[in-house]
Amino acid sequence: MTAPAPRPAPAAETAPTATTAPAETGGAPDGAGPEAGPPVLAVDLVTAPSLLEGLAELARGLESAGAGALTLSDGGLHPIHLAAHLAPLTEQIALLPRTDALYVEPFHLATQLMSLDHLSDGRAGWLLQAETDPAVPAAVGREVLGLEASAREAADVLGAVRAVWDSWAPDAVVRDTERGVYVDASRLQYADVEAETFAVRGPAITPRSPQGLLPVLVADTDRAAAGERVAGELADARALDVDVSVGARPERIAAQIAAAGPVGLVRLVGLDLEADPLGTVAQLVGALRGRGLIAEAPSHGSTLRTRLGLPAAPFQPDPARRADRARLSREEAA
Amino acid sequence: MTTAQLSSPTTGPAKHPLHPAHTPTGQLAFGVFFQGVNSSTIWRLPESGDQVAFESFETLARTAERGRFAAFFLGEGLRLREHRGVPFELDVAGRPDAQTLLAALAGVTEHIGLVATQNTTYNDPVDLARRLQTLDLLSGGRAGWNVVTTDNAWTGENFRRGGYLDHADRYVHAEAFVQVAEQYWRGAPIAHDGAHYSVRAQGELPRSAQGRPVLFQAGASPAGQDFAARTADVIFSPHGTLEAASEFRRAIVERTVAAGRDPGSVKILPGAEIILAATEAEAEEKVRWVRDLQIGPEQAIALLEQYWGRDLSAFDPDGPLPDVPPEVSESGVTRGAGFQFAKAEELTRSWREEAAAKGLSILEFARAKSGARRGEFTGSYDAVADRLAEFARMGAIDGLNITPWLVPSGIDDIVDHLVPRLQERGVYPAEYAGSTLRENLGLPPV
Repeated sequence: MTAPAPRPAPAAETAPTATTAPAETGGAPDGAGPEAGPPVLAVDLVTAPSLLEGLAELARGLESAGAGALTLSDGGLHPIHLAAHLAPLTEQIALLPRTDALYVEPFHLATQLMSLDHLSDGRAGWLLQAETDPAVPAAVGREVLGLEASAREAADVLGAVRAVWDSWAPDAVVRDTERGVYVDASRLQYADVEAETFAVRGPAITPRSPQGLLPVLVADTDRAAAGERVAGELADARALDVDVSVGARPERIAAQIAAAGPVGLVRLVGLDLEADPLGTVAQLVGALRGRGLIAEAPSHGSTLRTRLGLPAAPFQPDPARRADRARLSREEAA
Repeated sequence: MTTAQLSSPTTGPAKHPLHPAHTPTGQLAFGVFFQGVNSSTIWRLPESGDQVAFESFETLARTAERGRFAAFFLGEGLRLREHRGVPFELDVAGRPDAQTLLAALAGVTEHIGLVATQNTTYNDPVDLARRLQTLDLLSGGRAGWNVVTTDNAWTGENFRRGGYLDHADRYVHAEAFVQVAEQYWRGAPIAHDGAHYSVRAQGELPRSAQGRPVLFQAGASPAGQDFAARTADVIFSPHGTLEAASEFRRAIVERTVAAGRDPGSVKILPGAEIILAATEAEAEEKVRWVRDLQIGPEQAIALLEQYWGRDLSAFDPDGPLPDVPPEVSESGVTRGAGFQFAKAEELTRSWREEAAAKGLSILEFARAKSGARRGEFTGSYDAVADRLAEFARMGAIDGLNITPWLVPSGIDDIVDHLVPRLQERGVYPAEYAGSTLRENLGLPPV
């Protein structure tokens, strides 16, 4: 990737200025910061109704077999809800719905994903997809977007979603019984996003989630439709797709990982659920972990950001977007 | 309170003849309504739990299952409520997305129905139908949808479509929306061209164990009642007295029959708050204590400021209502549906007169007017059980949708003390009737 201009290092070192546009916050070019270790191994499950039978058992089995994450790709059942369903039924494994950014309401999408982060105690991520199936826009009464437009829209939606995620300070719920104040409006901010095709006002209806900003990744499969700006600049990391439907030989996968450059997630696609999925994954995990090619099993309670080597996402207050600005101006007028 | 009159043995069918087409089942079903915002839930008590943590929802849902509750409901708001242009700070605010949360609850519960309040104005019908069907399949046929409408542009500022709907249009739109969702659930091809948008889609998921999610609807206006009678399986009503509930039953049965449906195919579950104690005297004391904690001096002033549209912080909460005119002609839309569209000048004048006539202070008046004022189902365990048995015998209601005043322990005493008494009286199930929400509400199959 060619960075157009030197950018400040993400989040931890440099607090963005108050005028930072929402779309610019949160991303880390190509995801791999200096602290990034080996990628997290993810198993992709397609949300076909047939998956429901034995789903919890499968997820727990994959967790025990050493998979670091599950991605839920759309096969009919809603991927975010399937991820949410698995959150209390699992303990360690990260949960990343692979779901569309374009033909949805950004406010709903942001709320659903941050709710998933609450439910999973910070194990949630978003595998951003830019839908190319014309049936999806038809279902919401919109025209299918061309590649250029879909890339622009994906970037706008990602910016809006992050602005909504970042609209509550972590300590906004104060529960001050003395003053009778439950939430402190000065610790909330509007999203105030004005994109080309939509606007979102905010703040979120949900308090800040454990990670604040969920890690956003783009799978190789979705790179073209999501566009280079989203996949290369705005996303936190890349998900390397490894097709295991053609066989799951560790040597081949190791070579793919070694050739891929910096990735956050190695995503096994096409795992045969009829055969011995847990055995296959356990064998791969053993072989790849032995070579230091994938991350160690996560320690209990670590967030997905931590596992991906991403710095913590501090609340970025913007005075111009303060939710209690109406009160401030009243005080000035008085 | 009208409790004495309600528990009177002379209150009976003769005084409240219900519709001849309707045969009461004599049975009650309970739902627990986790509203997640506003002043109904007391957050100031040390035993008040986290309003967002999954543990709070799980504890409440598991307790409800122990009490054979038919359903667990979540409320929804799509914009943080504001007060004079600033997010409202005094009440509980901030909650997870309803359906995302229910998908998680589906995995840790076995019997209870999972009902999400979801708006027809700011959702896309196929997207919402698919999410609801996902929940229905994840839960083995326990999903429900509380259909609500909104028409205010203020909420619309969070959405692509904005506040595009006229007030008069909202039920027209809602009905078309539900029709599209039903086509999706049937797996039928959808070709809908409405006033507001077009939809081309086809349902692709298998039928759930209950056919489709159970439809709840809350409209109390004539248009809302008509919509409910045509489309809903269950109606939330705001009617807590036996007389009002009976009137409402008659109205709904009439409309249901007129819509060509079996009168037993629409159940009525009024929203309720239940405050119980061992004796009547203790219960009365407890009601006062709950009200004091729900509405403090700050909330009382803020409530009036909603209607006066101006800073009233200089007024003494223990003194009379403000003798200054309001600064707005219509009250704000931001506190929630119950507060909308009142003409502020008329209302504030009538409130001043009412409070003066009754000798009420600002604080006392606010407590009497606030959202959590329903007191019909408060009293001793036995008295409330008797009263509810009478409601069931009359067929005035099919159950209650209970908002706990404390989370997550707010229904413990209902489950431990009221439910067994209702079971003894034969008006409440000892076991779940079936595995689906539809079965547990006694609804006919679809």
